[in-house]
Amino acid sequence: MFLTRSEYDRGVNTFSPEGRLFQVEYAIEAIKLGSTTVGIRTPEGVVLAVEKRVQSPLLESSSIEKIMEIDSHLGCAMSGLTADARTMIDHARVTAQNHSFTYDEKIKVESATQAVCDLALRFGESVHDEEAMMSRPFGVALLIAGIDELGPQLYHTDPSGTFMKYDAKAIGSGSEAAQSELQDKWHKQMTLREAQILTLRVLKQVMEEKLDHHNVQLAQVAPQIGFKILDEKQLKEIIEAM
Amino acid sequence: MPGLPQQRQFNPYSENGGTILAIAGADFSVIAGDTRQSEGYNIQTRYAPKVFRLTDRAVLAVNGFAADGNMFVKSVKQRLEWYRHAHAKDMPLRAIARLIQTMLYARRFFPYYVYNILGGIEEDGTGAVYSFDPVGSYEREACRAAGAAQSLVQPFLDNQIYFKNQLAAAGTSHPTHLPLPTVLSIVIDSFTSATERHIEVGDGLEMYVVLAKGRTLQGLEGIRGMQELTTTDDGERVFVVRRELKKD
Amino acid sequence: MDHFPTNWGRPRNDAHDAYGTYPIAERPYNGPKDSFSEGVQHTQQPIVTGTSVLAIKYKDGIMMAADNLASYGSLARFKDVQRLHTVGNHTVIGAGGDMSDFQYIQNILDELIIDEFTAQDGHSLGPAEIHEYLAQVLYARRSKMDPLWNSLLVGGFKDGKKFLAYVDLLGTTYSASTLATGYGAYIAQPLLRSAVENNEDTLTEEAARKIIEDSMRVLFYRDARSINKYQIATITAAGTSISESNHLETSWDFAEGIRGYGAQTQ
Repeated sequence: MFLTRSEYDRGVNTFSPEGRLFQVEYAIEAIKLGSTTVGIRTPEGVVLAVEKRVQSPLLESSSIEKIMEIDSHLGCAMSGLTADARTMIDHARVTAQNHSFTYDEKIKVESATQAVCDLALRFGESVHDEEAMMSRPFGVALLIAGIDELGPQLYHTDPSGTFMKYDAKAIGSGSEAAQSELQDKWHKQMTLREAQILTLRVLKQVMEEKLDHHNVQLAQVAPQIGFKILDEKQLKEIIEAM
Repeated sequence: MPGLPQQRQFNPYSENGGTILAIAGADFSVIAGDTRQSEGYNIQTRYAPKVFRLTDRAVLAVNGFAADGNMFVKSVKQRLEWYRHAHAKDMPLRAIARLIQTMLYARRFFPYYVYNILGGIEEDGTGAVYSFDPVGSYEREACRAAGAAQSLVQPFLDNQIYFKNQLAAAGTSHPTHLPLPTVLSIVIDSFTSATERHIEVGDGLEMYVVLAKGRTLQGLEGIRGMQELTTTDDGERVFVVRRELKKD
Repeated sequence: MDHFPTNWGRPRNDAHDAYGTYPIAERPYNGPKDSFSEGVQHTQQPIVTGTSVLAIKYKDGIMMAADNLASYGSLARFKDVQRLHTVGNHTVIGAGGDMSDFQYIQNILDELIIDEFTAQDGHSLGPAEIHEYLAQVLYARRSKMDPLWNSLLVGGFKDGKKFLAYVDLLGTTYSASTLATGYGAYIAQPLLRSAVENNEDTLTEEAARKIIEDSMRVLFYRDARSINKYQIATITAAGTSISESNHLETSWDFAEGIRGYGAQTQ
């Protein structure tokens, strides 16, 4: 396999004869090494949940930040090279603020997602001499959750700059098992509460450690309230209910 | 001082006369302007539109320096198209209002010499009017006149729309919104009067009417010289009514 | 306000401004001195200028006229200048104002037409496109505070439609069935309007020619920067044509009867 790839897997600007960009495909592979992240859309809002891998008992688990706010109505969960996500979320935040400054309205979820993907695609820009903005594709996938005039929405973005809308989506190391579980359990009339419990159940199934309020993080976007990361008390309560 | 060339600054602005006006109703908006364009005592043309349909729910009237006005409208329309492509919808009225502010303020130190009045229907279905100064200060109002005959028309509107200096009959109160036929009569009267008393106003009148989604044409069915400009059949509707004004 | 009474009411200085080029007065300057005034030349002023251009719509298309004079202030400097210019196959432009700026405009329009021709894409620029292009160029230049000092009329006929519009150094544009630039806006425009308005589609070429000639004559009588030699352009379905120079027939008999100023003793 690697023999056929070796000629074409260095540059991000060269297609292989089969029409593939290997660096982009490798970047997508990198996400599969990341911790599992789940998102569920319901008519009442969107829930995001991530597994926090606490590699050492000396690690302060609250310092692992895998769910971030983009705007008051937009949130984001990540899997993969989380450091790359900071650049993307920074861009999404600026785009959202610029939009509300210029248009006096909240940016649509799809427009914010599109802005992130436009950035993700810029790895291909500039040839040898010029100052390159990016040297490689981002190694992270995002689940972008939000509410706008079209209701609650969940988007998935990957390093190729592709984005798709989902009712429920899992990314990261346990994503295959998690996704099939979501496919089984998700239904149209889910409540936000049901979604919270389902995300945790799905995570629990794919996590190696025992799930507790230190090694998962939960967030939601709901009408009126907007984006909120659930605090320890709320999280404990849901874990117990599950 | 002999030998020194005399300095004479080029003036990049002119003033092309005319008047614009807009009135918001409960579920409609009327935006109007005369069509005379002048410079000093010269009538340049009897027909130069100052009122423009932006979307099915937004109409912009522009008054002041005509070259700046036309360029500004052109830029706004371009931004609306970009927005439509980027966000897959027509820009809402309050978003257009804010956009106009940012576009005007971007030219704070070489302003577009134009007074803008934006009229149309808000997302909540109410009629709205936004007025701007040349550098982007703006507010939502029920009515506004601008341009050469502003000082003639605005006091009339204050009296007829806001009922300033009028007392309601005992046991009654002034209406907050007037019906469309009444508003159209007030607009026509404003312009015929301004034409009588101001040399820069006259020739033609263009009145745009924007109706909220689902609102009927009541009272407008047979109005003379009306033309529909709506592009979709399930949203707000736009009409234009053209009338002659005196040409002297 | 000039606070030096010695400057008030002074005639212009013939030593420095023999021909009364615009602006006329060259007077001692006693105002504050700008040390950087020679750094960047922001604007100029028109030097060699053309006066009015007239144009009307008539039955077959557009008729436009301009005289052959280019003035240097009050001096009739060039008496054989053509101020009408054909652009492509459907358009004629006429220019008042600075003649060197007009020559520059002729150059960029000629290049534009060549570029468009070499594209061989089946498009040809009509008068509406030429006018829009000129408006953009002139507005862009005024926005740089470096204007092209002209008033231009654009007349044309394409796809069965007449086109007549104006654009000037500020980028101001408008369209009407009769147009006149410069002094003509005051003197000729009322004559043109009373003859043409509401008759655009019935006015014959002969009648149109008569109206234009009469207006040019009145302008020659009253406009000190005009000359009795002019050209007429027509733009119709058949294409564009610019005439040879015509001489105006004028009569000065009435001067005999004028009393009250001049050389008469009583």
